[in-house]
Amino acid sequence: MESKFTEAHQRVSEDGYESECDKVAHLLDLMIDGEASSEEQSYFNTHIEECIPCFESHHKQKLLKGLVSGHLKRVIVPESLALSIKARIQETV
Amino acid sequence: MSEQTGKQMSKEEKDARFEAELLPVLDPLYNFAYRLTLDEDDANDLVQETYLKAYRFFDYFEQGTNAKAWLFRILKNSFINEFRKKSKQPAKVDYSEVEGYYNSDDVEGEGGVATTTDMRTESVQDLIGDEVASALNALPVDFRTVIILCDLEGFTYEEMAKILDIPIGTVRSRLHRARNSLKEKLEKYAKSMGYNG
Ligand SMILES: [Zn+2]
Repeated sequence: MESKFTEAHQRVSEDGYESECDKVAHLLDLMIDGEASSEEQSYFNTHIEECIPCFESHHKQKLLKGLVSGHLKRVIVPESLALSIKARIQETV
Repeated sequence: MSEQTGKQMSKEEKDARFEAELLPVLDPLYNFAYRLTLDEDDANDLVQETYLKAYRFFDYFEQGTNAKAWLFRILKNSFINEFRKKSKQPAKVDYSEVEGYYNSDDVEGEGGVATTTDMRTESVQDLIGDEVASALNALPVDFRTVIILCDLEGFTYEEMAKILDIPIGTVRSRLHRARNSLKEKLEKYAKSMGYNG
């Protein structure tokens, strides 16, 4: 990826929303979960095009979500379960 | 609109509708139950209890609405109200075991999760899956829950708020803290495997 990155928007403070980076950090989960509004999306995307730390945080957060959605094994439902649910329902009046 | 068609239906019709609309959710529901209880027998009981409750209240279920969210909500309430009390508290079961083989002192630093991109072979894939499971199981149940609902089952924040009976703002902050916690555990692991940034 070509670096037209600058360090201009580095995090200023750990608390509060004093910098653009703080606002962007606040939008991180909304972005990876597809919950950000279109304004929030464009604010976010514009910022991470220019800010390496926020770009990296975004990358990491996406990877984390992908680890759960892509690697966590699903457990197999016991075959007897659906049958016993049906049976118990049928005897319920 | 909720017309209570259940009242006019025969038991056969009601049962057929119940099975058609709600049994397709069995797989995600069982997985959710398993991730809450961390025990297959407990998950089995919890899912059966959930379906029996759903059957009793089926007349109030609006056809065509979100059956999955509805069942998840019933299951989560059963888990909190009854189940959690009588079963062993599972939240930290695997924690000491997991912690045991981590080098516990280098939590700080970055790049752990971000640098796992070179893991390609199948056995490594399995290893990652196991490690994600251990890290997730070591989280408090409230954290585990939001991650499962969001990342594994793909519920929206609004659906999660309804399932959990909490405001959306609380969903967001809980999810954020849960992810930080999970990230920390996985970064330790990535480091211990030599995947440093
Ligand atoms: Zn930034």
